[in-house]
Amino acid sequence: MEPVAITLPILIPMLLSLAAWLSRGSAVTSRWLLPAGMATLLGASVWLFLIINVAPGPIRVDFGGWEKPLGISFKADLFAAIMVVVAAVIGFAGSLFAVSEIGRTIWRKGYGTFYFLLLAGINGAFLTNDLFNLFVWFEVMLMASFAMLVLGRRKYVFEGATKYVVINMVSSFFFLSALGLLYGKTGQLNLDEVALRLANSGTDPVILSTAALFLMAFGIKAGVFPLYFWLPPAYPNTGFATAAVFGGLLTKVGVYALFRVFGGAFGFLSDVTGPLFLVVGALTMIAGVLGAASQFHIRRILSFHIVSQIGYIVLGLGLFTQGAFAAAIFYIVHHILVKTNLFLAAGAIAATGRSERLEKLGGLLKSAPLLAFLFLIPALSLGGIPPLSGFFAKFLLLREAFREDAYLYVAIALLVGVVTLFSMIKIWGEAFWKDSPRPGGTEPYRLMQVIPIAMLGAMTITIGFMVEPLFELSERAAAQLIQSNPMYVESTEE
Amino acid sequence: MEVFIAVMVGCLAACGTRMLLQRSLFRVLIGLALLAQAANVLVFTAAGLGRGDAAIIGPRAEMLPEGHPDPLAQALVLTAIVISFGVLAFCLVLLKRTHRRTGDEDVDALAHTES
Amino acid sequence: MSFETFQPWMPVLAFFATALLAPFLSGAGGRVPASFWALVPAASFFLFLSNAGPVWRGEIWRTSLPWAPSLGLSWDVWVSPVGLLLALLVTGIGTLVIFFAAAYLKGSDRIGRFLGFLFLFAGAMIGIAVTENLLVLFIFWELTSITSYLLIGHFHEKLESRKSALDALLITAGGGVAFLAGVIMMGEVAGTYVISELVSARELIQGHALYPAIFICVLLGAITKSAQFPFHFWLPSAMAAPAPVSAYLHSATMVKAGVFLIAILHPVLGETPLWHYSLMGFGAVTMSWGALVAMVQTDLKRLLAFSTVSALGTLMMLLGMENTLAVKAAMLFFIVHALYKGALFMVAGAIEKATGTREISQLRGLIRTFPLLGIGAVVAAFSMSGLPPFVGFIAKELLYEVKLETPPIGMILLVCGFVANAANVVVALKVGILPFLGVTDESALKNVKPKGIGFWIGPLVLGIGSFVFGVFPGAILGQPLEAMVQQVSATDFSVKLKLWHGFNLVLLLSALTVTCGVVLFLFRERLQALGEFLKSRLGWSGVTVFRAGLAGFLKGAGAITRAIQSGNITTYITVIFVVAMLMLTGAWLKSGYVPSLPETGPFRFDVFCLTVLLIGLSVMLVKATRRMTSILVLGCIGFAIAALFALYGAPDLAITQILVETLTLLLFALALYGLPGMNELATSGRGGFGSTVVALLVGTGFTLLTMKAFDVQISDAVALDLAAKSLPEAYGRNVVNVILVDFRALDTLGEITVLLIAALGVYAMLGGRATDHRLTMVQGRSPVLRASTKYIAPAMILFSIYLLLRGHNEAGGGFIGGLAAAMGAILVHLARTEMPLKLYRMTPGILMVAGLATAVLSGVPSLLQGDAYLTSVWGGEFSLPAVGKIKVGTPLFFDVGVYLVVAGVVLMLYRTMAEWQSARQDIVPRSN
Repeated sequence: MEPVAITLPILIPMLLSLAAWLSRGSAVTSRWLLPAGMATLLGASVWLFLIINVAPGPIRVDFGGWEKPLGISFKADLFAAIMVVVAAVIGFAGSLFAVSEIGRTIWRKGYGTFYFLLLAGINGAFLTNDLFNLFVWFEVMLMASFAMLVLGRRKYVFEGATKYVVINMVSSFFFLSALGLLYGKTGQLNLDEVALRLANSGTDPVILSTAALFLMAFGIKAGVFPLYFWLPPAYPNTGFATAAVFGGLLTKVGVYALFRVFGGAFGFLSDVTGPLFLVVGALTMIAGVLGAASQFHIRRILSFHIVSQIGYIVLGLGLFTQGAFAAAIFYIVHHILVKTNLFLAAGAIAATGRSERLEKLGGLLKSAPLLAFLFLIPALSLGGIPPLSGFFAKFLLLREAFREDAYLYVAIALLVGVVTLFSMIKIWGEAFWKDSPRPGGTEPYRLMQVIPIAMLGAMTITIGFMVEPLFELSERAAAQLIQSNPMYVESTEE
Repeated sequence: MEVFIAVMVGCLAACGTRMLLQRSLFRVLIGLALLAQAANVLVFTAAGLGRGDAAIIGPRAEMLPEGHPDPLAQALVLTAIVISFGVLAFCLVLLKRTHRRTGDEDVDALAHTES
Repeated sequence: MSFETFQPWMPVLAFFATALLAPFLSGAGGRVPASFWALVPAASFFLFLSNAGPVWRGEIWRTSLPWAPSLGLSWDVWVSPVGLLLALLVTGIGTLVIFFAAAYLKGSDRIGRFLGFLFLFAGAMIGIAVTENLLVLFIFWELTSITSYLLIGHFHEKLESRKSALDALLITAGGGVAFLAGVIMMGEVAGTYVISELVSARELIQGHALYPAIFICVLLGAITKSAQFPFHFWLPSAMAAPAPVSAYLHSATMVKAGVFLIAILHPVLGETPLWHYSLMGFGAVTMSWGALVAMVQTDLKRLLAFSTVSALGTLMMLLGMENTLAVKAAMLFFIVHALYKGALFMVAGAIEKATGTREISQLRGLIRTFPLLGIGAVVAAFSMSGLPPFVGFIAKELLYEVKLETPPIGMILLVCGFVANAANVVVALKVGILPFLGVTDESALKNVKPKGIGFWIGPLVLGIGSFVFGVFPGAILGQPLEAMVQQVSATDFSVKLKLWHGFNLVLLLSALTVTCGVVLFLFRERLQALGEFLKSRLGWSGVTVFRAGLAGFLKGAGAITRAIQSGNITTYITVIFVVAMLMLTGAWLKSGYVPSLPETGPFRFDVFCLTVLLIGLSVMLVKATRRMTSILVLGCIGFAIAALFALYGAPDLAITQILVETLTLLLFALALYGLPGMNELATSGRGGFGSTVVALLVGTGFTLLTMKAFDVQISDAVALDLAAKSLPEAYGRNVVNVILVDFRALDTLGEITVLLIAALGVYAMLGGRATDHRLTMVQGRSPVLRASTKYIAPAMILFSIYLLLRGHNEAGGGFIGGLAAAMGAILVHLARTEMPLKLYRMTPGILMVAGLATAVLSGVPSLLQGDAYLTSVWGGEFSLPAVGKIKVGTPLFFDVGVYLVVAGVVLMLYRTMAEWQSARQDIVPRSN
């Protein structure tokens, strides 16, 4: 059954995307096919996860039946499986929101198709163990995101889209060049094979330059300092469901690639990359949080917080211990759920308060108390308030940083945490507490918008109380991840 | 021989970058196309250049002749070419629409999205 | 009922449950009276009290509920003497506060939410009291900060409320993260978060290099929470909260959490010079400053707030002193202060509610209207100013005794303490006595509202408490204090409490204090004027400084962000490339890379010419000023590269490249057709130098990279195995094609998906609006072309199919075939634009969908067989003229899929853009 289980996460969305295109004409089907399909995908992903969870190790599938390294292999380890499930959850939540948000014309233009293909690309990127295949899935994901972005039909969407597209194509350029060099050097594309070849290559100029280029390519996608320029203009200028899915998943795919490549095959460079990632992570946190503090447009605030939170995760990569990886994985899961939820909440807020600018919003606590409550959950979680998921994510990371004596970074992370809380509270104070500056400034929101927000909020709370199982899972995932680095295995065997 | 090709790749990359750094969106687009070409050639050559015969097994033969070019690299480049074509076509239209929206293809006119 | 049956964590759950229920049952439209919920704290209070006996005897009761062991996180519940004291205060005063709040917020539509937050807070406070695991304690700690924020902002329409709430949150939460850091460090040093285990690891912790860091972090947490100077200012501004909150959180319970923390950590971190001096320092300064500022206030609640600051300072100072008696004093004062300050805050609230003002100058003769409230107020005031027979007297005596016992520092502290106590007397008189004395000034009391029991019951009960404790101190407080002192200072210490110590120095001091206080009280107007004068001279206060700092920070953040996120894409790209080059340089330096010429293969003149041509072309491209020129040059570059591919034995690549370039040219032409300035100079470039430098850097970098790439020759490239298996196992002679449709079919699948998305994306951007426009753009319709296409088109289609089929063995394949087919269709269309653009009745959309479906499904059969996806399944073999033998199998279907998708995509792109073009022409008449 493994081959089926591992293929479904890309097969289902690809086939459904075609169905979506064919049915885009009908008002009902075009809408409801998306959540239905996402639910199916979620089911399939959970199935895959359950298989991997009990499996002794990662499960590999060689497509076309060509024994590795001949063909393309998918390697479903715990990290990948977790990400696939989370992606499906986000996809489902986003689709529920889209049903009520997206207008008829947008559906007719094939929103559902792009949505499905985006998920296909993301899942492919999570599961594949082949570098060029990763490149291809990245491109699928990017194209789909481009298309979804421009469907946003907002005032400045095309401006944001232009920056997003151009910068991401530059990243693809780096990626492809790096691939070429690496293939020329090792003659392999399968990550594990590459890892074996690299393990004893020492500091070869080509390998190091390859590493540098990969760092650029993934760094841009992950949105680390100083490469995140494309992010803040893109997300606030498109649809809310779109922004929510992007905000939750896209950068994390880049981060995931960073972990795969620099935690695994290029792990032998950790003495070089480790400190680098620490510094980059810190700068990313600071730059992001400063940006957020200075904004008064809800989705701009959230976009900059994506950046700052990426900083925390990169910090985990920089510490380069199994514990840090575990913390980072925990952090990724937490952050995806919370960030998507906040973007959705922003959507509900904008629908209720008829604006995203804090100075125009107000009085929502009176008019939408339920929404207020639901907003507080992810907001406080992002601010690291216990016992929500964000607190434990930060706690695990900080504890690990202490064990590595990275006190400076602990201090930075803590301060950034306070500022994060500040800008969440800023939204609360302005949008919910303040009186509405405009008479009759609010409208009722739709239930369909609240359902996904409540769903994700419930997950955030659950993680808080069920922290043990998720952490134990992250630890196992981290162990598998770090063991894909042959050097590490050797060093532990000695 | 390789030296010339290396210089040529560098030149493509340089010109691509130079185009990227101009104010005309149209030129930015050309720059992207150029960079894509540079990357393709890089991948193609990095796998090593053969003697010039194709990676096709002759009617009688059972194997590729010695010193054949790297077929995998070719396949990769082919995929890359097609992908960059798709993205480029999309960008082309994006350029049109941006132009339509902002009435200008000058990148300096694209600062509304921020601040 | 003992702790075995009644577990001390039950109240916490009960409070949280109430927090969930109360808003619905007592909120707007709820029927349950708010005071009903006082049952919960009352019951908890008596349950704690009924189990107090053994705890006072020193038996600490423990249990543990598992949570997350691998995080060192388990809810270790204990009932320690100090913890029990806190729990009793929280539940006891909580009961009265609920009554008070019910009266105070009568008729407010927010009472439900208020109760919810209040019970959430109280539950968290009990959690702090009964938790032994510092990490869990921190969780409750933060919860109190948040609830405090939400409660301070009760009147959240007021800007001041929001600001004050924010101040409080930022200060307490900021201290909170420091506390967390301290907790984590302790945990890492001692390997546990459980206090009793930390106590036994005391030497380890205090000997550790991290001890100062740990202590400072914990201290920061404590002094921010307990409003010590210079963080004290949030407490006075927190008076924006409704009076019940001030009485409960900001005098009796929450602000004591910091003191409580210091008390329970005393046995772990205490008794070091750092501990003594920092605590005494902060405490003394806070005590004096708070008292002095309090003295000159005229607003009831601000009077109380600053005196609370002073009291908190006293507590900190006592815990810092190197003297067991001090601990005893601290614990006693802990109780005393809660009693009188809680009462006075309720009095202030009641007065405010009744008269609508908190300005003491306008308040007179309330005793007639509020006799019972008055009694409570007076008693509390006497206790506060340390008059017998109230317990405040005993506390103050003790304070003096302690200070006298510990020279030389004691002397300094004695002075501070004297000032503070005198000031306390002033405050007590101002709040507790002054408003009730004198004759009623009718004008001020026009709007006195009917007073309910809820208003006076609280102060009265607490007043009685002060009295009873004062009269029978030893009997009631003796044993508890002993237990607490033992817990805090970890030493046995017998406590003797008497109201009357006889005539001695201490008594003299007390008498002096009171006299001083009274004198100062009489000169209060002068003092207030002086205070005003100094304040105006000083010009700033803690709040203003903090808010200015915050504003400055935000301004700076904005500036930095605008600098980074300039909005100029050119800058972004420049930065990215510069960073990339820096990374490369770093990589090379690290690897000790020396640029060297690769060992070159045979010189080939043709290739040489190509490279030269390419270099020339690309330079030309940069120089080109007309769009059309640039497009053509770009095309030429593409063709030249195609030639390069051809020269190095890549026919498929070459063909594909040529076709793609042609198509690109076509699309460019279509897209830019009618774009204003089509033939004019494109927008002038950037002030070139900088970007030229960057470009040159990039160029050099990639040249060096490519050179280096040639040096390596690997023997075991996977490509060799592929070449070897291509014919025998994949039945294909064209290895490249076999790779595309079999070995790495998944890549191709992704590739055609990208194409499809691109086409649909273009359609989404342009199409849908102009579909009804027929293509009127192309005018070139020569009869010859019209006639010839009738025969050309089918031929092209046939040819494309031929290309598709032979692809597995010769140059060709689905991609090339598809492009050819599309070209054919376009050709036909160019000839007869009246015909809709289709490929034998198949619209582009259908072609694409059918194609992708075929490709995707061609991999499924193997899946059903239990093999991996896309595993080839082979059928029979047949041969066609001109094509030769063809083996039927899923790869063939896959290639057909590719063929269809590519054809569809090309047609879709062409059609959409052409249609849009023509549509736009109809809309806007073409300029130039």
